[in-house]
Amino acid sequence: MKILVPIKRVPDPDHRIRVDLQRIALELSDVPHIINPFDANALEEAVRIREGPVPDAEIIAIGIGDPAWQQELRTSLAMGADRAIHVGVSGPPDPWNVARILRAITERESPDLVLMGKQAVDDDSNQAGQFVAGLLGWPQATFVSQIEFIPLDPEPSIAGHQLRVARETDTGIETIRLRLPAVITADLRLNEPRYAALPAILKAKRKPIETIPLTELNIELSPRVERIALQEVSSSRKCQYVQSVDELLDQLFLNRCL
Amino acid sequence: MRILAVIEHDGSSPKPGSLAAVGFAQAVAERNGGHVASLVIGHTVAGIAEILTSFGIVYFADSPALANPLADRYAQVIVDAVSRYHADMLVAASSTYAKDIVGRAAGLLGGAMVSDVVAHDWRDGQLLFVRPMHAGMVTETVILHGDPKIVTIRPTAYPQPIAMETQGELFPIAVQDPLPVGMMWEHLESKLGTRPDVTDARIVVAGGRAIADRHDFERLVGGLADCLDGAIASTRALVDAGIAPNSLQVGQTGKIIAPELYIALGISGAVQHLAGMKNSKKVLAINKDPNAPIFDFADYGLVGDVYDVVPELIGKLHEP
Amino acid sequence: MNREMLTRDIYGNIDSVSKVIFYILSAAALACCAAGIWHHVRRWRREGRPFGSPSSPAFDWKGIFSRFWTRVLSQTALRRGRVGAGWMHSLLFWGFAVLFLGTVLVSTEYYAATLLGRTAGDPLFHKGLYFAIFECVLDLAGLALIAGIVWFAIRRARGTSSMAHQGSDWLVIGLLISLGITGYCLEGGRIVLEQTPAPALSPVGYVCSLPIAAADPGPAVVGRMHRTFWWIHALLALGLVAIFPYSRLLHALAGTVRLMATPRALGSMEPISIEQVELAGFIGVDRLEHLTCLQRIELHACVACGRCQDVCPAHIAKKPLSPRDVVQDLRFQLDQWTRSADTNTDPGAVSQQSLCGAVIADETLWACTTCGACEDICPLDVGPLTFITDMRRFFVGDGRFRGAPAAALARMQRSGNPWGLPAEDRLNWAQDLDIRTAADGGDSDLLYWVGCAAAYDPNCQRIARSMVRLLQRANVPFTVLGNEERCTGDSARRMGDEFVFQELATRNIETLHRYGIKKIVTHCPHCLNSLRNDYPQFGGLFDVVHHSELLLDLIETGRLPIDGSDLFNHSAAIRATYHDPCYLARIQRISQPPRQVLDHLLTHGHLSERIEMARHGRETACCGGGGGRMWFDDTPSDRIGIDRFDEVVATGADTVAVGCPFCKIMFHDAASDRGSSIQVRDIAELLAEKILQ
Repeated sequence: MKILVPIKRVPDPDHRIRVDLQRIALELSDVPHIINPFDANALEEAVRIREGPVPDAEIIAIGIGDPAWQQELRTSLAMGADRAIHVGVSGPPDPWNVARILRAITERESPDLVLMGKQAVDDDSNQAGQFVAGLLGWPQATFVSQIEFIPLDPEPSIAGHQLRVARETDTGIETIRLRLPAVITADLRLNEPRYAALPAILKAKRKPIETIPLTELNIELSPRVERIALQEVSSSRKCQYVQSVDELLDQLFLNRCL
Repeated sequence: MRILAVIEHDGSSPKPGSLAAVGFAQAVAERNGGHVASLVIGHTVAGIAEILTSFGIVYFADSPALANPLADRYAQVIVDAVSRYHADMLVAASSTYAKDIVGRAAGLLGGAMVSDVVAHDWRDGQLLFVRPMHAGMVTETVILHGDPKIVTIRPTAYPQPIAMETQGELFPIAVQDPLPVGMMWEHLESKLGTRPDVTDARIVVAGGRAIADRHDFERLVGGLADCLDGAIASTRALVDAGIAPNSLQVGQTGKIIAPELYIALGISGAVQHLAGMKNSKKVLAINKDPNAPIFDFADYGLVGDVYDVVPELIGKLHEP
Repeated sequence: MNREMLTRDIYGNIDSVSKVIFYILSAAALACCAAGIWHHVRRWRREGRPFGSPSSPAFDWKGIFSRFWTRVLSQTALRRGRVGAGWMHSLLFWGFAVLFLGTVLVSTEYYAATLLGRTAGDPLFHKGLYFAIFECVLDLAGLALIAGIVWFAIRRARGTSSMAHQGSDWLVIGLLISLGITGYCLEGGRIVLEQTPAPALSPVGYVCSLPIAAADPGPAVVGRMHRTFWWIHALLALGLVAIFPYSRLLHALAGTVRLMATPRALGSMEPISIEQVELAGFIGVDRLEHLTCLQRIELHACVACGRCQDVCPAHIAKKPLSPRDVVQDLRFQLDQWTRSADTNTDPGAVSQQSLCGAVIADETLWACTTCGACEDICPLDVGPLTFITDMRRFFVGDGRFRGAPAAALARMQRSGNPWGLPAEDRLNWAQDLDIRTAADGGDSDLLYWVGCAAAYDPNCQRIARSMVRLLQRANVPFTVLGNEERCTGDSARRMGDEFVFQELATRNIETLHRYGIKKIVTHCPHCLNSLRNDYPQFGGLFDVVHHSELLLDLIETGRLPIDGSDLFNHSAAIRATYHDPCYLARIQRISQPPRQVLDHLLTHGHLSERIEMARHGRETACCGGGGGRMWFDDTPSDRIGIDRFDEVVATGADTVAVGCPFCKIMFHDAASDRGSSIQVRDIAELLAEKILQ
């Protein structure tokens, strides 16, 4: 069994993100980067699948970005991925193009499962997983907080391996079954990712990272989303004390908080 | 421009958020002379479709196979409806339903999608969308290339739609056979109440150590949140004490959120908690301790006991 | 009485056949003992540790011998904590040592005299005054030995202490008691048989001789009786020798070696380089051969007396950690390994058992607050904490760590503080205070090290604000690093993430060197310990003081005058108790300056009373925040140290004074959880309140 785990490199969400003077780009040079937390959940789950129900699972981490992404791929290998693929592009593409690249990789690798984060904490789009599932025509389960491998179902309409997953939706916890191959996107409560300390990263140095140029995948990027401006949301504050509930309501309405 | 709004429903009526999506669609259509239609998917949804006719044309897909929202089937129906209506734009309210189903449909329709839109604008006849990113620390303005354009909106950002003078027509959509069968429904464990998710809500009401028990948490925190259509949240202290469930915890070890307004009730402001809510746009703190550190991180402060202040606040908010 | 007459016949009444049999048996017992010791030594010396300093430390003979007197013979450490057991062990030990020395002297006399061709009854030195003292001392030593061992037998039978029991302990106790008793019987028999002059020189032996003399069975019977006692005594002694390395008695050897070796420095850890880790492929300890030689000796030095368990805050809080069991579980593995090696001729054989998570459970490793109480109390200088931090290093390095504390580590690495807050916010607490950063340039050679808690935690920011205002009042020029300060890495290192620690430490040292900082004051004992004990390993040598020391100095030199005007205003006064932070009182041995600062406040009426808790100073009890426990997600009532908070409340104080931001946070949480109105204040806050009111 093969599990593909796309990994995104994102600015540390703990840090304050600033917009440059032209209001078109983010100033990220001083901001440390991390593996997108939801992707870490996805990777952790893949490792747990290998540690549990499917010992022969092969886990492949995919990064789509500039050479700096190798660092997050190294971390992924330290967390338990068997090998990594780095698709070299100058910057992270929009979700549509990420999905196209993932489709191309999927066609090369023919995995049984694409396990990824529900969204990236930088652009917060929450689209790529659904796009890939749609493009591949595979079953999908988004916002997953639990994955269970179930024995083969004798029901003739469902062939192959099956998963039972719990999804965290606005209306509650939804349980569905999926036929493999499938796309699953992970929610935060799926698991607690392990921490890759330096010795683990050093140990994973021997694991391979394959770099694939975009041209080899025959993909020409055609962005669907074009950013034209950015604005910082101010966060400095000075407390304005109010004396009564009436005064409070006046202030809140006056400042259009309510 | 032909705009199709995907309507989420609870089996008997459309969800208010989805109606806000229709409101957004109307606003866009009004500006460029377009048309708005609604799409309802499910089983025995004729009644809901009927309700929606007051906002224009309604497409509806009704089948036992669509009794539950499974993304592969529903997305297929949406793609069919888009092609039937020749829609240039597909809109929905940003919810887990739309992120799941409309997101997949967008993948099938060319991927020109923008999520969580909180405002829009026009420039040279082009639609600009404004959306938050980086957990609300930054907003970006984008344009979409390609058709159809797929948009999910934050329901709190848009008004409810205006009813038309004449009712729209109803068009049933024949369900394609066979529908995809890779996903099978098992069951839904319903959440109590219908409050928005703490990570998505525009307003979040959070309770801290001053709240004594579960009952008071529901009465004060829940009560105030319901007045404001807000989500509820708590500090680690209440989660630890078993007063609030784990999923509501905001802070370093809980969720990191950035709502428009964060109301801190009886929260002292430990650094662990501040880490989770410091990016909120506005913060209101109510605490009886004038020295509570939370006031250093608040825009509005009211020194008082939450047990006195909150009931009064709820009472005044209920007044017309 | 003619003093020259005083002597006795060595091997008197023992025929040559018996002597030959005795020598054969002795050889067998010694061989048995030597073989046992050899097996252990082979395992102790087993090389397999890829870390640490490459060369073995130079032997400091002077230190080794002085420690033999100060740490082994004196038995001082044993009498700490358990006075009764300590004295009894001292008696047992001194008694045994004297008897052993006596046996050596007797043998020396016998063989020397034989070699010189002297006849029986014409001893070389075993006579006269020497003999009189010898007899008396040895007789009383036997009494000390019996008193000690009987005391231990009773204690063991009652099972009241946290001493771990094993069946073979009774064998050792039985042997020692019988050895003592048969010794006296033998002595009694000899006195009767030889009609020893001045028998009262061995008072107990003399008492034993009285019933024999009274019965008067005749010289032949007494002779047989004496021979029988002699044989029983000899066999018991040889038995003791034979089982020495196979029983808990081994601690006498291992413990002596441990005590004579370099004493443990509390609060310091061994540095490991990236190169060593790259070469080894791992970090820390997961197998017995990864331990140092001394650590393996420590495993055999431990007698499971349980002193460590009694003082362990995690054990008191019912967490699954007993330092005693950690050591004993490892010792069991070591013995298994030694035993399996008996059938395995390869001396380089590796142990098969993984320790982390298998022998020592994950929860056990992570329950430790690294307060150091176990290592501080251990009379044999065994280091349970070091075993734990070594295994934590492996655990973290192996990528097994997860959850909230792992997130704190990641944040320390990325953001330079455990909360992941931006470095640019590090000086927000001082916005309205006129302070200079080192980067602003300043003519001061004193740096105030603020630490992460006081930089970011609103509650702890008050400590820093008080401190700054006090320094300004005293006209002490100082600077802070401001945005350039990073977490010292104390908890990262104690959680086992050596390289996050090293990254932070080298960066901080580089910053401190850039500004030419020599003298540092900090209110955080964890930062203090790291700066004092950890940083010199990476070239950071600074003169670091705790703020209590500096504040006391400023008060006593008159630079921080305390106004005595409201001397009688007792209504506003505070009843305070002082809680000693582990890293300050136990590890850095600073417990008086904070008390003296409080006593100045007491004198000037700001405090009405300073209450002392039972556990104070070096014997303080942990608040639960050290060793990375601060970042764990347990609920306040389950936290380690909640018992300490209850102890604080039980004093009836309305304020608990602390000298550590972690203690402040932990007690603050505990107070909320327990619904207590007790105030938790740093000594700087209390002082500032009084001086700057």
